[in-house]
Amino acid sequence: MTSVSRWVLVFYCIYLLLPLYWLMTMALRNNSDITGKFEVIPSNPTLANFAEIFSNPVWYQAFGNSLSYVVLNTLISICVALPAAYVFSRYRFLGDRQLFFWLLTNRMAPPAVFLLPFFQLYSSIGLFDTPLAVALAHCLFTVPLSVWILEGFMSGVPSEVDEMAKIDGHSFPYFFFRIFIPINRGAIGVTLFFCFMFSWVELLLARTLTGSTAKPIVVVMTRTVSASGLDWGVLAAAGALTVVPGIIVVWFVRKHLVKGFALGRV
Amino acid sequence: MAINKPYNNRAWLGVLPVLLIVAFSAVIPLMTVVNYSVQDILDFNSRFYVGLDWYRETLQDPRFIEAFGRQVLFSLSVLAIEIPLGILVARGLPKNGAWTSVLLILLAVPLLIPWNVVGTIWQIYARSDIGLLGVGLNELGLAFNYTSNPTHAWLTLIAMDVWHWTSLVALLSFAGLTSVPPAYYQAAELDGASKWQVFRYVEMPRLSGVLVIAVLLRLMDSFMIYTEPFVLTGGGPGNATTFLSQYLATMAVGQFDLGPAAAFSVIYFLFILLFCWIFYNSVMLDGTVDESEARHHD
Amino acid sequence: MANIILDELGFAYPGALEPTLLPLSVEIKDGEAFALLGASGAGKTTLLNLLSGLLVPTTGRILFNGVDVSSQSGSERNLAQVFQFPVLYESLTIADNLAFPLRARKAVNGFSAVDIASRVAKIAGELEIENLLKRKPKTLSLFQKQLVAIGRALMRPDVSVVLLDEPLTAVEPRTKWQLRQSLKRLQEELGVTMIYVTHDQTEALTFADRVAVMADGKILQTASPQEVYEQPAHEFVGFFIGSPGMNFVAIDSAIPAPMYAASGVDQFAQRIGFRPEWARLEHPPMTHPLSAVHWLGRVTHCQILGTQDGVPVGITTLASEVGELKVRGAINATVGEEIMVVVDRCVSFCAEHYVATHYAQSSTSQLTNPVGNE
Repeated sequence: MTSVSRWVLVFYCIYLLLPLYWLMTMALRNNSDITGKFEVIPSNPTLANFAEIFSNPVWYQAFGNSLSYVVLNTLISICVALPAAYVFSRYRFLGDRQLFFWLLTNRMAPPAVFLLPFFQLYSSIGLFDTPLAVALAHCLFTVPLSVWILEGFMSGVPSEVDEMAKIDGHSFPYFFFRIFIPINRGAIGVTLFFCFMFSWVELLLARTLTGSTAKPIVVVMTRTVSASGLDWGVLAAAGALTVVPGIIVVWFVRKHLVKGFALGRV
Repeated sequence: MAINKPYNNRAWLGVLPVLLIVAFSAVIPLMTVVNYSVQDILDFNSRFYVGLDWYRETLQDPRFIEAFGRQVLFSLSVLAIEIPLGILVARGLPKNGAWTSVLLILLAVPLLIPWNVVGTIWQIYARSDIGLLGVGLNELGLAFNYTSNPTHAWLTLIAMDVWHWTSLVALLSFAGLTSVPPAYYQAAELDGASKWQVFRYVEMPRLSGVLVIAVLLRLMDSFMIYTEPFVLTGGGPGNATTFLSQYLATMAVGQFDLGPAAAFSVIYFLFILLFCWIFYNSVMLDGTVDESEARHHD
Repeated sequence: MANIILDELGFAYPGALEPTLLPLSVEIKDGEAFALLGASGAGKTTLLNLLSGLLVPTTGRILFNGVDVSSQSGSERNLAQVFQFPVLYESLTIADNLAFPLRARKAVNGFSAVDIASRVAKIAGELEIENLLKRKPKTLSLFQKQLVAIGRALMRPDVSVVLLDEPLTAVEPRTKWQLRQSLKRLQEELGVTMIYVTHDQTEALTFADRVAVMADGKILQTASPQEVYEQPAHEFVGFFIGSPGMNFVAIDSAIPAPMYAASGVDQFAQRIGFRPEWARLEHPPMTHPLSAVHWLGRVTHCQILGTQDGVPVGITTLASEVGELKVRGAINATVGEEIMVVVDRCVSFCAEHYVATHYAQSSTSQLTNPVGNE
């Protein structure tokens, strides 16, 4: 590594950390402190903002809503994508390349295009304002993405494994669930990471498809922004808390992360 | 290892669940959009078929063209910074060791923050009254205010996007770089190659594959950007930072002018499709050169 | 071209309980074809990495032409290396790949473009790859790519030594012998000092002027292929070399000592070893019972390898009073039959250090001159 690259890395890390640091300091200060006095290091740190979030149902229910549609989405995506990815990696069939490409286009679709139709569609089937609606809507992107990633990994598992299981006399379900899926644990972890990366962060669809019942955290935060009498401290605390699930997910899949990126299948 | 894939149409059973879900999520809505795009909808009961009128109107709408122009400028600017920066950051990362995991996690964090929070973080950070950056720049005498000055708004948006997405390029590049077996570096060293020659002849060939992906992904994603600028500047001051997605969202939801909005959507989507096609071909046909792996698709 | 001396060279990874390489000394002559032979874990890769400058010695020194290079990097030592898989610059043509080592050091060696071009042509000619010069690596087969890699290693006329790290590993089996021949021919013609690291004894014994057999971080014997085969200095050498390797028999008082003495076995020997081809099968009773080492054995397995003068030859495995024995030669017994194993030549080993103490050939030995390699 040349020293130029090293310095760039160091400065970039500082560049990354500064706004995050600022977020934390804001989260630890009272709103009146924030608007009153400008300080780089908080002189009066307080956990009141976090307490507000954990005690106010508007906030913690919102977190719950977000987590529930993300989990739902990841579950559906992975369950549905596993057989498809298996089949893409092992067989050729009529229209396979076209189907694969079409799936990819969905991952790349601009959410704005789907706002209105989704709104109408989910309203008409009575799913409006539920986590399931958001989970399904996000499937538009996460399912193709999951198939795409899983297929990449699965193609690296030799078909001899399948044959050996057959020779050993195992039925296909046994092979698939007890042998093949455990082999692809890393792949599933990476897919989980990328599904999370899509679903947890998205705003447009999450906002369009929810009303007051299933309001996700991303909406509560933006609503807070547009209201007057803005509480920066609570907002910052909420923001800080949204970073936490991400860190947890990355931590768990860190070993397989690079391989996932290496396949270029982000 | 190349997998010899047998032909078996029963494989369709495996893709059926995927097909159903994506069709539900994509095909029906898309058909709706295309349907609307060729009609003039005054209210629920009166609709007229207008053919390609909306398309023509949209493509000639000055506000559309402006938004498109801003979008192109924005996308090219962020790409021009994120790609070289991402490569340099990746080269600076230690290939293995205690720091590697920590740094990779740090790099991944911006990618996992809800996009509105990204906007909020930068809002808090860049404001000239309470933000570290805002106040800092003003202390240095720069009269920085992104809410009223369009140039400042642009610069802040670009800085935010760089903060948000460079990690993607860096992680992709890092993956490419670590796929170089150490023997290549050793051989180059024994040859007496200079550092620049090592970068050009050993690293770049490996990087070129992932870089194409990085460029296409960033191009497509930046073309669709909505949330972050919305939260940070709201599209302002005035229209200065209104890009395509925001324009479309305003049209579709705010103004209830379904026909033109639908036409706009279709044009937007077609444009993305074009990039997607290029992306698909470059991933499927290009391979990184590796002794132990072979592309399995033909 | 360099003469290389390893002087009490040893290596241990920091924090390791045991050293990977125990202090060893060996001299490799200028222009010699030298092989490092050993199983995985023997330490040969570590030794190679010490030679190439990738690792710094913990003890001892490395001398190139009398100069201590232990702290110098690989490129300062002016050496070249061929790896297990072909390492080429994928974005350059073959001609540019070959020219690279010369162009990179242009400031030092002052080669003009004309000099470089003629050297490329020469090496390409030696390797018979002139027709590949304009192509890119990804259009070549593994065999061709490895040839180019070898060519790259030979480009610098003043290269001190060429290190080869199991260069035939990635090449398809049926082209291995071709590559081996090309290597040997090049080494002889150009007179380059080459150090060939491998776990394959055929490769080592056919290529090298001298072989160093390694195990457990030590060099057990450094000698010509002939000597290593005929007169192994250590039990492991006898066991590792040859297919199958030596038979080993412990000498104890249950077996009549005069038999050994008469055959010339060292009276203090504790074990003897003999190669399967140094023994033969004879139907009892023996003609000269005391003049050769022999045991009665029952045939358990016959593996036919071919025929010679119409007689099947191969490896016969027998169970005997001194353990399992393998004999190579004419198969003149069937499974289950009882037959005499008569040993014509053997090596005595001292059991504590497994070191050879004596080489003996019996008076009734039917072996003529020492046999060559397989």
